[in-house]
Amino acid sequence: MKYIATFYSHFGAIRYKKLCEGRNQEAQIMPVPRDLSSSCGTCVRYEGDLILPDAACHEEVEQIVQITQFGYETAYLAEEA
Amino acid sequence: MKLKTETRWILTAGCIIGVISSLLVFFGNPANMGFCIACFLRDTSGALGLHSASAVQYIRPEIIGLVLGSFLLAMWRKEFSPRGGSAPVTRFMLGFFVMIGCLMFLGCPFRMILRLAGGDFNAILGFAGFAGGILTGVFFLNKGYTLKRTYKLSRTEGFAFPAIQVLFLILLVAAPAFIHFTASAGGPGGKHAAVFISLLAGLLVGALAQRTRLCMVGGIRDMILFRDSKLLFGFAAILLSALACNLILTATTAGVYFQPGFSGQPVAHTDGLWNFLGMYLTGFGCVLLGGCPLRQLVLSGEGNSDSAVTVLGLMVGAAFCHNFGLASSADGPTANGKIAVLIGIAAVCAIACLNTFRKEK
Repeated sequence: MKYIATFYSHFGAIRYKKLCEGRNQEAQIMPVPRDLSSSCGTCVRYEGDLILPDAACHEEVEQIVQITQFGYETAYLAEEA
Repeated sequence: MKLKTETRWILTAGCIIGVISSLLVFFGNPANMGFCIACFLRDTSGALGLHSASAVQYIRPEIIGLVLGSFLLAMWRKEFSPRGGSAPVTRFMLGFFVMIGCLMFLGCPFRMILRLAGGDFNAILGFAGFAGGILTGVFFLNKGYTLKRTYKLSRTEGFAFPAIQVLFLILLVAAPAFIHFTASAGGPGGKHAAVFISLLAGLLVGALAQRTRLCMVGGIRDMILFRDSKLLFGFAAILLSALACNLILTATTAGVYFQPGFSGQPVAHTDGLWNFLGMYLTGFGCVLLGGCPLRQLVLSGEGNSDSAVTVLGLMVGAAFCHNFGLASSADGPTANGKIAVLIGIAAVCAIACLNTFRKEK
């Protein structure tokens, strides 16, 4: 499975990437794809199992989407997003 | 495939925006100033009486158009999303200091590109400073800089800033006695395209910038952070298309739209050090804000109240620049302006450090 996580800040992306790497899942920081958001923030793209945000980055994660052949499917959405 | 489509959109938008910018000068805007977010916000501040520099007072329809163009497209594409609450006072201060940097250089990052396209080599030093400022900002981003998250707000809050632009448009057209307008031969504020043309240009550029997320800071920032050149293509497309249009206009009309060199450039000075430092402050501040002044206007149209507060900071900064003699002129920078830029760099550095290294858990 391929996922893209978006964040409220660049700092959140750095923390989430560390979380992914801590679970031995390779992750890449990149600009948010335009078709996912009109904001110009940073996202993390990774392959493997869905990683839900831990306490260290829970406040920073806006959403996590799974990339499917039909587009994006929401896998996690912050309460206030 | 999607990536290629995105790049194509950005290149196309950049080309259109470059041509529009060049044509606005043909239709009456000051030279190399088809668009300048800093100058136009400064003019609008003056028209509202926030400063009394009689040469630079006019409610610029381009600003109104940029916000409303972004707003209308965001509404149509269901991307209008009222948000805010991410350190608004800090953003106000950053906006204030970014304007001080812009008015030291005499232009925002957008005008920096247009000055290059007009042959103004002073903008090369500005560009070097701008890139240096972005590099400094990226250093703090990578060290953990954050102004904390935004929160969802009411739709009323999101509509407020576009509504203010509608009010500005009414004031521009009605021209009541309490609004100040520079006389046609009275300075840069008196040079402008017809209201309809400026408004239409703003609407188009606002919509294109919303669609593509075009940002003068984002291009260099993303290149450094991610080795991603998409937004940088937009930057280059504006430069090349405005340059081509300037050359064509120079060859086919009586006006001069391209004049290579350092001296005698319109609304510019030749002090390289302060051109560099002014844009260094601008680049540094803009990275901490998450976008250039153009991007702040576009985001405010999408309902982002943090960006709206930043624009208010830019407007108040412009008023301070002219009330306290901080803004440069064709004669060069002022002593007050130099002190203000140094204070600005120190203040932005302090904001960066406090939001990077001193975060509560």
